[in-house]
Amino acid sequence: MSKLVLENVSFYHGRGTPYEIKALDNINIGIPAGKITGLIGHTGSGKSTLVQMFNGLLEPHEGRVLLDGVDIWSQPKKIRDVRFKVGLVMQYPEYQLFEETVFKDIAFGPLNMGVPESEIEERVLEAADFVGFERELLYKSPFDLSGGQKRRAAIAGIIAMRPEILVLDEPAAGLDPRGREAIFTNILNYQRANGNTVVIVSHSMEDMARLCDNIIVMSAGEILMSGDKDEVFTQSERLTSVGLDVPQITQLMNLLKIKGVECPDGIYTVEMAFEYLKNKLR
Amino acid sequence: MNPFIKVCGLTYSYDDEAVVKKHAVINNVSFEINEGDFVAVLGHNGSGKSTLAKLLNMILVPDSGEIYVNGKNICDDSMTDEDILEIRKSIGMVFQNPDNQLVATIVEDDVAFGPENLGIPSEEIRARVDNALKDVGMSEFAHHEPHRLSGGQKQRVAIAGIIAMMPRCIIFDESTAMLDPVGRKEVMNSIIRLNKEKGITVIMITHYMEEAARADRIIVMNDGSIILDGVPSYIFENESLLKECGLSVPQCTELVHRLREHGICLDKAGVSIEECADMILKHITEDK
Repeated sequence: MSKLVLENVSFYHGRGTPYEIKALDNINIGIPAGKITGLIGHTGSGKSTLVQMFNGLLEPHEGRVLLDGVDIWSQPKKIRDVRFKVGLVMQYPEYQLFEETVFKDIAFGPLNMGVPESEIEERVLEAADFVGFERELLYKSPFDLSGGQKRRAAIAGIIAMRPEILVLDEPAAGLDPRGREAIFTNILNYQRANGNTVVIVSHSMEDMARLCDNIIVMSAGEILMSGDKDEVFTQSERLTSVGLDVPQITQLMNLLKIKGVECPDGIYTVEMAFEYLKNKLR
Repeated sequence: MNPFIKVCGLTYSYDDEAVVKKHAVINNVSFEINEGDFVAVLGHNGSGKSTLAKLLNMILVPDSGEIYVNGKNICDDSMTDEDILEIRKSIGMVFQNPDNQLVATIVEDDVAFGPENLGIPSEEIRARVDNALKDVGMSEFAHHEPHRLSGGQKQRVAIAGIIAMMPRCIIFDESTAMLDPVGRKEVMNSIIRLNKEKGITVIMITHYMEEAARADRIIVMNDGSIILDGVPSYIFENESLLKECGLSVPQCTELVHRLREHGICLDKAGVSIEECADMILKHITEDK
């Protein structure tokens, strides 16, 4: 079942000017409820424009965006509610931290939603737990945190709004492997605990292969592929033709195949390659 | 032969009034880099990689220890402004965010910015700009507006701007972190070409293990100290130590390690897809 559906959605940058560019071209997709969907595509393929459709930051010029079957633009005055239901973590969200303490920063979203004061602490602590923050960190200035911690504080600020859909644009960019691992474990825990719908935008095919259930591939403002990650990662050639990659482990399996080793399609994690090769090499 | 860069007992701490005891970001670090080397620097966020780069370029001044560039002690009090300029000319830096490094409205003007500031005669600037754009494969974009380029293209323009100053060494501080896979490949290929064809010494700070695997040598930093230093195949043998330091190994190296732990005899851990494929292939053919 789809939580969010885009129907014939088109969007133009600079509409009506001589510089008009079609950023989204007749998009038809569904974001499955309770799953993790990965959104991939090269720079400028329209990913960021698309995610801004999800929570009503941009209004489509053509087509409809349906959240639980309801057109989010049917009552434009209520679009703010959609932004609380669909939480968007933008790229480099740590630049948006501004409060005196981490606690206050995480509380900012729910307070703005009108959550009563009495409930705020519970929400902040719950969000802090999801991103693995110890209590004493909550009373520090967000500017005294490390890069990875700042990122997690910013994500906690969105989680505290308890969005039905959590959308993250490049949540691990610029972090070291441990920092990436921590962020992704947090997201997985959050998704599993509440059965929430999650959308992740990333350039790292290795991370996407590990985390996501479904993959949507964008190219030049259109949906190139959409489906189960097995289906998508078996199509290495199509992915490379639009400036994307497959995970390094898949590249290794493809190379082995070229060199005449019999290998099945659809191996995209180290675990899968290990399971296959350990028997073959025995 | 004297090393191009020699660092002895380098220590540096950021001034932080809130912290009574100074925490050393760089703690007694020593190493040498020869002219023409291609060295990757790995380390977790906050391990001191970027601080080290800024010290080499005299953006920061160390608390103690010495840095010799081309035999000259750059931490010496007798360094004049001209001497410092000379160091910055010979060691260029390319940063993470391409949007923060481009200043002009036309690509070739941007590349000319550095040499113009060095007071190079205009005819020579022309030649340097053309050559620099050619080196990074961006000649056809000479008259484009930088802000309309892709991330990888912008980053290559930033690199051209450094090459035009004819440095002997370039430090790349996570220069591929914000790029998509194609952009990363473009920039990596440019970096490798500058090193192999032009003989420019490269120090490349990165969080991507597969990129580090392409260097000739890797220095691993942890909490301000160097914990490993050697060729990639040696570095990535130390998977558990790397993981303790918040790092990892390339996926194909991890696969080989796991197969070996499982009792499958592979002679060594490869660091590239090709090496690992050949090793697995060799095992299969020898078995038959």
